[in-house]
Amino acid sequence: MNQNSLSITLTINGTEKTLTVQRSDTLLDALRRASYFSVKFGCGTGDCGACTVLLDGEPVRSCQIRATEAAGRAVTTVEALADKEQVFLPSPGLAGLHPLQRAFIETGAIQCGYCTPAQLLTAKALLDRQPNPSEAEIREALGGVLCRCTGYVKIVQAVQRAAALLRGEDPAPFAPIEATLAPDTPLAELLGEYSRVGADGAPLILSPPEMEHLNVVGQGEPKVDGVKLALGQPAFTDDIQMEGMLYGALLTSPHAHARIKQIDASQARALPGVHAVLTHRDIPRVKYASGGQSYPQPPPFDQVCLDDTVRHVGDRVAVVAAETPALAQQALRLIEVEYEVLPHVLDPQAAMQDGAPIVHDEPDTEGIYDRQRNIVHHIEAEGGDREAQWAKADYTFEQEYRTSQQQQAHIEPHVCITYWDEDGRLVVRTSTQVPFHIRRMLAPLIGLPVKQIRVVKPRIGGGFGNKQEMILEDLCAHLTIATGRPVRMEYTRAQEFTSSRSRHPQIMRYKIGVTAEMEVVATELYLIGDTCAYGTHGLTVQMVGGQKGLTLYNAPYSKFVCDVVYTNKPTPGAFRGYGSMQCHFGIEMLMSEIADRMGWDVIEFKRRNWIKQGEELLLAKALGEGREGFQQIIRSNGLEDCVRVGLEATDWYHKRGNETWRQGENGMRRGIGMSVMLHGSGIAGLDMAAATIKMNDDGSFNLLVGATDLGTGSDTILAQIAAEVLGIPATDLVVYSSDTDFTPFDKGAYASSTTYISGEAVRKAALKVAAQIKDHAATMLGSDTSEDMTLRDRQVFTPDGSSLTLEQVALSSLHQQDQHQIIASASHISYECPPPFGAQFVELAVDTETGQVTVERVLMVADAGRVINPITASGQVEGGLQQAIGFAHCEEMVYDESGRLVNPRLGPYRVYRCHEMPHLEAIFVQTEEPTGPFGAKSISELPLDGIAPAMADAIHDATGVWIREVPFTPERVWRALRSADTYSGVWQI
Amino acid sequence: MLPEFNLLTPQTLAEALDMLAESAPDAVPLAGGTNLIVDLRDRRQCPAVLVNVAELAELRGIRQENGHVVMGGGTTIAEMLNDPLIAQHAPVLQDAARIFANPLVRHRATVAGNLVYGSPAANTPPPLLVLDAEVELASQAGVRRVPLDDFLVGVRETACRPAELLTAVRWPTPAQHSAAAFRKVGLRKSDAIAVLNVAVRVTQRADGVCEQTRIALGSVAPRVIRARAAEESLLGQPLTETAIAEAARLAAEATRCISDIRGSADYRRRVTEVLVRRLLTQVAGEVK
Ligand SMILES: Cc1cc2nc3c(=O)[nH]c(=O)nc-3n(C[C@H](O)[C@H](O)[C@H](O)COP(=O)(O)OP(=O)(O)OC[C@H]3O[C@@H](n4cnc5c(N)ncnc54)[C@H](O)[C@@H]3O)c2cc1C
Ligand code: FES
Ligand code: FES
Repeated sequence: MNQNSLSITLTINGTEKTLTVQRSDTLLDALRRASYFSVKFGCGTGDCGACTVLLDGEPVRSCQIRATEAAGRAVTTVEALADKEQVFLPSPGLAGLHPLQRAFIETGAIQCGYCTPAQLLTAKALLDRQPNPSEAEIREALGGVLCRCTGYVKIVQAVQRAAALLRGEDPAPFAPIEATLAPDTPLAELLGEYSRVGADGAPLILSPPEMEHLNVVGQGEPKVDGVKLALGQPAFTDDIQMEGMLYGALLTSPHAHARIKQIDASQARALPGVHAVLTHRDIPRVKYASGGQSYPQPPPFDQVCLDDTVRHVGDRVAVVAAETPALAQQALRLIEVEYEVLPHVLDPQAAMQDGAPIVHDEPDTEGIYDRQRNIVHHIEAEGGDREAQWAKADYTFEQEYRTSQQQQAHIEPHVCITYWDEDGRLVVRTSTQVPFHIRRMLAPLIGLPVKQIRVVKPRIGGGFGNKQEMILEDLCAHLTIATGRPVRMEYTRAQEFTSSRSRHPQIMRYKIGVTAEMEVVATELYLIGDTCAYGTHGLTVQMVGGQKGLTLYNAPYSKFVCDVVYTNKPTPGAFRGYGSMQCHFGIEMLMSEIADRMGWDVIEFKRRNWIKQGEELLLAKALGEGREGFQQIIRSNGLEDCVRVGLEATDWYHKRGNETWRQGENGMRRGIGMSVMLHGSGIAGLDMAAATIKMNDDGSFNLLVGATDLGTGSDTILAQIAAEVLGIPATDLVVYSSDTDFTPFDKGAYASSTTYISGEAVRKAALKVAAQIKDHAATMLGSDTSEDMTLRDRQVFTPDGSSLTLEQVALSSLHQQDQHQIIASASHISYECPPPFGAQFVELAVDTETGQVTVERVLMVADAGRVINPITASGQVEGGLQQAIGFAHCEEMVYDESGRLVNPRLGPYRVYRCHEMPHLEAIFVQTEEPTGPFGAKSISELPLDGIAPAMADAIHDATGVWIREVPFTPERVWRALRSADTYSGVWQI
Repeated sequence: MLPEFNLLTPQTLAEALDMLAESAPDAVPLAGGTNLIVDLRDRRQCPAVLVNVAELAELRGIRQENGHVVMGGGTTIAEMLNDPLIAQHAPVLQDAARIFANPLVRHRATVAGNLVYGSPAANTPPPLLVLDAEVELASQAGVRRVPLDDFLVGVRETACRPAELLTAVRWPTPAQHSAAAFRKVGLRKSDAIAVLNVAVRVTQRADGVCEQTRIALGSVAPRVIRARAAEESLLGQPLTETAIAEAARLAAEATRCISDIRGSADYRRRVTEVLVRRLLTQVAGEVK
């Protein structure tokens, strides 16, 4: 015990404990060190609330309290809520859980689970005080704990449900509402009760009359990992403590652009307890691109692990490994760096001017299109007959739109632990969406063969694209190689903002030609994509933007021209919505503007032109992702029904343009707006996933998938798909994802591919296993054919009615007769990427005197094909909507002139909190996609695509003003309202 | 992880003042820590000694005394929200408390910390200014009272001296026929940091003529300010639409806004006028 250590006695979860703590320890540090891993780190600045514990029964943020302050007091963590022995023995179930934990699982309130312990404890403190809280009281009480996954809808429902359970009531099972939607179904009747109340209800699932009912697929199965997350089990990357583990830390650049003239690490190295300091002098210069994408990754390879040039504030300078986090920080302060500050450029249009500072002048980066003007890529693609189509246009409309840089803001930061295992292989335990890409990309950087690297993905606390990137793994591995010891690195929240990834800001200029008969005959898009300091994802994000932005209306002539530009800002990367949502903002706004200008009904105008069933996507071949794509035809399209249902559910025609409905007090005006959208399901001809299913003695199965559940529930829906084929409950599958040593390849969780691609791989593997089961059953029954056998209720049935249990088949196949392992693997790739479709409706109020916008209600109606799990799917919609509303309304990375980010904190960056959310509602209009597993398409990214234009449309409905740049901050709205010039583009009529 | 410092936990006010005096200026009081802990972590402040004043009995409690409400400096925002005396005599303070950050922060943040930190965007100074509050400052040398209007000096600057503690905030129980209101403009409902916040209080005679007015503006100058010319323009007048509009215009003139990420100077000034007009209109209708 050194002079700064002291011991404190406190009660933790009812037991008196004595802990040795440092004076500088927060309560969070002390609790995690004592293995109370349910208490999470999210920011350290008091903004996120993930570190909440109860101190003498009251919720407090443990990162803001010194450990010594807790002496003599009672601390409660989630570990105390349940009786674990009851939960796990004899068979796992919901008994033994606290009613709050049960309700969180049943309602789907847990996605990544990283905020769950804090939400549970905060809710517990509320219910202890107020057994019958109103929805507003619940939202208010939960306002201190951020969630980036759920949109809070199901969390609030869970607390309401738990309150009822605790009051001794017996609430009905939480289930989606199902109904049939035929062309002649009277919608008013069908939707009246559901929608007019505006409740944050359970999702509504509408099915076509001919759709077959399935047993496991389509059910709101609780998440397979729900129990462990509700218990706060140590499931995340950082929830282990390794013997001899060192703490890594990263020194970042204070300058937007500079050359490192001198770097002196001698003092830092001399500090006792510091085991390594690495600068650009200490590791080989290997070029790479950090985006986790398939081989060969799109160019340019414009990064190296540590460089002698820094290109944005927050860029990598040096790393250290030391015995404690405090020592590591101290060592960073001792590194002396002399910078030669270079001119920098922040604005992409300025960067394209002659004479602008050159962001990448290093000769070893190849493949930059125009280095002098900072243009990384220039893309051109067109389809259709230009002259003929433009000749048909009676009117031409052209307009410019801008989007800002949004940050993913997952609550779990990037975190990684690397170590040598007993065979001398490097193990990388990391919070990633792309374990297999990380293994392949890491190998050349650290000079190890792929076979000597194992990447393990534990539970992830949200990623939203930001973990489709190698952010820490290479640095952490270098430190383990340098020290021979396990090393753990975790970003600070400020580093998440300055040194991870974000959304590409874009400037779009759309030009649309229409006929007097409302027909869109030509669409051109010129796009400037700001890829900031490095090119990772820069090419593919803009290509997807062009492809989706021009496909929604699929004009017979479409043209895409794009410049991807370097500037000296923190680098964007992958972020849910991936270019598509930015370009949807442009196209959907211009379509609404045209309708308004021409006096056309906006619905009618869009309906005439949106892409229909059977249509071929004009630009699908020209614009793949970083390479040529494949021809695509729309095989399922529920957009018409989505819009029809949405119009009815919102009572659109009573509100839109209705002056009485619009007017409020004190300069308040209400408006309603809408947008339509499409996305993709995976990347055609590129994304591959594989799955393995293995049968066990008791007729249960292991499902091994490389697919990476980052909180979305993909482990659960993959189990449902396998269970449907095998005739078993989903709980008979033990799902393991993902570990490069044990699970087959999967390109990872991105591009809305998991349900569609990984799901089909699982279905194929299950079909193979089913065939093996039937064959073995035939052997057991002495029958010479397994034809016409069926699997259901954990049994295999022959056509004549005799049956065997799966357990009998398993035992026989493993121990008795023709012994062999029933096991199969299957891979899947699709040359199509069927778009899911959707319509979004926003109601809001504008304070015309201050410009403040309040979003009141948002409805999304989605066609995601067949919905595998209505609860996780609606959770994807609600969480996506929260991020989309933030993008449109208030989230934005803001820089000062020197390129320093002025809001690198969750508070001033403004993530929507529970009590600020509007009502969110999700309705699914099911279709059957012939190429998807059981007819499924994707859902996770689609909700991001339409909120910004729908909000702009609603603001226009309320005030008559178009706002063409997100976010719609009070001042921006206020200014627009005051400028007489409501149209600044070129109208040629 | 926080930087190294020595945390002292005094049992009494006298002890706390001794500790502060002994290590001044390297000693700093710690209350809820919602400002200070973040500053320490970011190394904006590196005091050697922190004196924990959060639990001192002398800084707690809300009571009535000789026609005044006296609120201990250690009162948290959450306590303010739930206190019947405040509800009765200073609902305007509760309006400000209600939209203060979130429950987790409200539970720890104290009024003394909010005032001493000296943020021009803080939530409690505008309502306290319109209530004519004074602060009580204690040191080894004794206790002094300073009107809040003199206490607030500039950005992160107040009249609080090293080794002094803000022990209480007090204000005269508002007269009958007095009404007050508070409003904040943020990007969303309850932004941690306001683009702008405004409080007003008006006392009217039975015939509607205005006897006393207070208008306080936050986030529009280096400190929370009073708009005196605007206040005076209303004296002796009924609160007509024209009078209110003129006062609002004068209030906007009193601002010395800067532009930052939350809004430009021009926007802040113009919206100040809107909020003052609205709040005056609202209280004009409320005064009984
Ligand atoms: C997430 C978040 C949201 C926030 N939102 C808001 C908001 O909406 N509105 C708002 O106004 N503020 C907000 N704040 C700022 C902060 O919470 C308040 O200023 C709070 O009132 C400070 O009080 P405290 O007790 O935490 O002070 P501390 O952080 O403990 O101290 C602040 C300063 O006051 C000094 N001090 C404390 N007590 C005394 C005393 N008795 N005598 C003399 N000096 C003293 C300290 O030395 C320090 O300099 C927010 C902060 C966070 C972290
Ligand atoms: S980690 Fe404590 S509030 Fe975010
Ligand atoms: S479930 Fe709340 S942050 Fe992921």
